[in-house]
Amino acid sequence: MSALAYRTTISPSLNEARKRVLQLYRDWQRAAPKVVSGYLLDIPVSAVRAKIREEFEKNRDVDDLHVIDILIFKGRAEYQETVNIWKMDTHIMNYFSKEESPPKPRSFLENFYEGRD
Amino acid sequence: MSLLFKRTFPFSRLQVVPNVTILKRFNSGYLDSDSSVLAKKESKNEVVETAPEKTQIITADIISGAPTELRYRTVRIYKPTKTAMQSGEHNTKHWRIDFDILEGGGRWENPLMGWASSSDYMQALRIKFKSKEDAIYFAEKQGWDYYVQDHIEPKFHKKVYADNFKYSPGKLRIIKTK
Repeated sequence: MSALAYRTTISPSLNEARKRVLQLYRDWQRAAPKVVSGYLLDIPVSAVRAKIREEFEKNRDVDDLHVIDILIFKGRAEYQETVNIWKMDTHIMNYFSKEESPPKPRSFLENFYEGRD
Repeated sequence: MSLLFKRTFPFSRLQVVPNVTILKRFNSGYLDSDSSVLAKKESKNEVVETAPEKTQIITADIISGAPTELRYRTVRIYKPTKTAMQSGEHNTKHWRIDFDILEGGGRWENPLMGWASSSDYMQALRIKFKSKEDAIYFAEKQGWDYYVQDHIEPKFHKKVYADNFKYSPGKLRIIKTK
């Protein structure tokens, strides 16, 4: 069995699912410094923490137990792959693509150099 | 996307086996115009179900991991027509979903070579369905806005050679002499 592998479970109640989500969230937050040092990222730990929070907040309103279970599973898989350094740093930076992407070309010449819309 | 959806929710199909519940579950635009069908089905089954409230979160949308931009795209549900150049009808038996063209960008002409380019990764996607209801259900589940282009079944006209020689009171339809 690989490191940080979790058995997939079916939550019996919303309370139980909530506990699992919070556990996953804590694990992620604790791993934030490790992510930055492991992938040699050029961003502060606080930014990674904020991003983790943002990703969890996206699914705040989900109340279907089956869906929560799948999201927990996907979160666990992502956690395992990230913390074990099974990813490349571009995979991590993909989460920050919104913040890190260069500004859109405006002038004709910039557009030309870009070669696209 | 659909593969993942099927894998993660193999049981979800079962929830929507009776047609009436599909129709009532989502208050789709297309159903409003088609209310006579709904009424007929209700009277036949004599079951009046209370419509459950429309859920806020569309599950497949969240789980599939599809980009959020897709939520703001409109899809077209239609049945392809027979090509006018050939007589084969095989391609007209199913319903399809395809994506509308992105407004304001997404396509450009390469300034150097003049190639046609696009950043719209959905432009070439076409999904096949057995029925209109299936397509609508899928679009609802994915959280896509959609519109249905109604299909008009072409009428079959029996052609008889002898009709060419029938009396017609007005102007002749075809002049048969050269």
